[in-house]
Amino acid sequence: MNKHKFIQQRRPHWKQFEETLTNSSRRSLSKLPAEDISRFSKQLREVSHDLATIRSRGWGHDLISYLNDLVARGHNLFYSAPPTNIAGLYRYLAVDFPRLFRANIGYFLVACLLFFLPLGISWYVVQNNPSLATRIIPEKIMANFDQMYGDESPLNSDEEKAESQQNSDQPEGTNFGDQRATMAGFYINHNVGIALKCFALGILLGIGTVYTLLFNGIFLGAVSGYIVSQGNGERFLSFVVSHGSFELTAIAVAGGAGLMLGNALIHPGQRKRFESLQVRGLEAVQIAGGAAVMLVVAAFIEAFWSPADIPNLVKYIVGSGLWLLVFLYLGLAGLQSDSRLVPVGKQERTRSPESNYCGTPRQ
Amino acid sequence: MISTATIGETNTISAVTSLMDNSTKREILGLEMQIETPENVILTYQLAGPAKRYIAYIIDLGIRVGITFGMMMVIPLLGIVLPGTAIGIMLVLMFLNTWGYYTISEGFFKGQSIGKHFCGIRVIREGGYPITIWPALLRNLVRSADAIIFYGIGVTSMILTRRFQRLGDLVAGTVVVQERTLSLPRKPVILDKIQPLNKNEIGSFLPRDEILSLIDEFIGRRHVLTYERGHALAAILANNLAERLNYSGDPKKVTQYPMAFLAAVYKTFSFSQEEEELVAVSSYHPRNRSAEMHFE
Repeated sequence: MNKHKFIQQRRPHWKQFEETLTNSSRRSLSKLPAEDISRFSKQLREVSHDLATIRSRGWGHDLISYLNDLVARGHNLFYSAPPTNIAGLYRYLAVDFPRLFRANIGYFLVACLLFFLPLGISWYVVQNNPSLATRIIPEKIMANFDQMYGDESPLNSDEEKAESQQNSDQPEGTNFGDQRATMAGFYINHNVGIALKCFALGILLGIGTVYTLLFNGIFLGAVSGYIVSQGNGERFLSFVVSHGSFELTAIAVAGGAGLMLGNALIHPGQRKRFESLQVRGLEAVQIAGGAAVMLVVAAFIEAFWSPADIPNLVKYIVGSGLWLLVFLYLGLAGLQSDSRLVPVGKQERTRSPESNYCGTPRQ
Repeated sequence: MISTATIGETNTISAVTSLMDNSTKREILGLEMQIETPENVILTYQLAGPAKRYIAYIIDLGIRVGITFGMMMVIPLLGIVLPGTAIGIMLVLMFLNTWGYYTISEGFFKGQSIGKHFCGIRVIREGGYPITIWPALLRNLVRSADAIIFYGIGVTSMILTRRFQRLGDLVAGTVVVQERTLSLPRKPVILDKIQPLNKNEIGSFLPRDEILSLIDEFIGRRHVLTYERGHALAAILANNLAERLNYSGDPKKVTQYPMAFLAAVYKTFSFSQEEEELVAVSSYHPRNRSAEMHFE
């Protein structure tokens, strides 16, 4: 077979394949009728074969690069991942995230140790010796806390308006709900940002994550200890108890995911370091994503429920209920077998990390 | 007889063919990435270098700053009705702009943010597959680690890795490649004015298809080189070929006009093969016959 003959014979097929590509690149392949897809599959294999033939014969660089691009485009289209949809999101939150979390619970426990232990210690120390707080918290912010949780604060009717770790200015002259929305936005922006950063910095051998966890733990502990030592403990605790469930746990969850990244580099196990980073990174990011969702929930609780004018007893009861809910969610969600998730269960195979990693053809 | 000819051929013209072999072998210092598809075909992708990605980053940065300013214009209008909610929405949007811009654009628009689209580059998985939402999220969360010291960490990582991957790419298993536009190769050069070599002046040697394609492409791109440089390059191949062919014609044709000589060789062999196939005397050329069987 001669080169010119070969090109002459195959050129119409390539043109046709090119046309199919441009037509279907706008729409997803899955929206095409079945016979079109199988024809596409056949064309892809034919063009792949042409590419292999031309490569082995050495029939010129131009021709190879043309066919290479043709096959690459077809390859991209044919092996694209299944589309993400609402059912996938639900499945992720209800099943995949808690499962992944439990599978890697060791990292979470270490993160808890790095976060809650310093928090407890600095709380205890500062509560017994409030003057130490000045070493951690800037004076200006301390004055803010005094005002926020103190007796003379304007919160007696409206309760606390802001939470301990931030000190934003309150917009004035607005009604309760409207003002809360600002805070909700602020909490999402601020807290989720911290959690994501805490996770991402884990790539630096986990050092960034450890630093963020320790820093936030010590800071929050000092703030809490200081406020309680000033005699505003009741007001502070009733404010914090509800959203603390989601917020503090989520910080530790994100921290655990960050530690996973760092540990994948330090202890790659049987894999190469970068491979281990990729495999565990894909799991870690799904855990961190769950933490981000938990923080969004926390932000709404913190903005709308925690500062509401409700008796403290109710807040404590609801708060403990929320803590229980978080533990039940992380501990029990997704425990049922996949056969019970029949309609969604079919996606399990395609969405499992391993096959997701390789990509799966859909036909 | 045939086998000795083949061995001799590979030896003498190895200087030329090594140039072509390199392109199919894995190169350490190249911009190419090779992937084997499930159809058992090797695909090559052109990697995008740091410079191109930097330009894309600048464009994206401009867009993100633009979005922030745009929000500052629009949100106060909502603020007239619900000032608090407006600020809240603004803060959420700012969060999405900071953390979600790349994830959303790369996750949902086939690995291209707006800046990448303008620069003609795209994020794909290392296996050549399109990027999905989780790797997109992962590589762009880790961006905050890459961004330390004005992307110093990211650039260092790109320089140290063979595929120009920053930390986010390494974790997510992604690479940034250049998009190429499809263009059907032009028709082979038709050389009407070139006379094929006289059969009496050459031996029984048959150049391989690679050599003929090389000549074809070389002549097709001769205008890229200056006259002197083009002829100097052509002389290398022409001298080797003349020796191999036992060319007994005018030696000036080889030394003075090597390009014309190459064209003549090309015309002689690429067209003579065709004619012989038409006559179907395939027994004269066992190599051609086996090739045809292999193909069909």
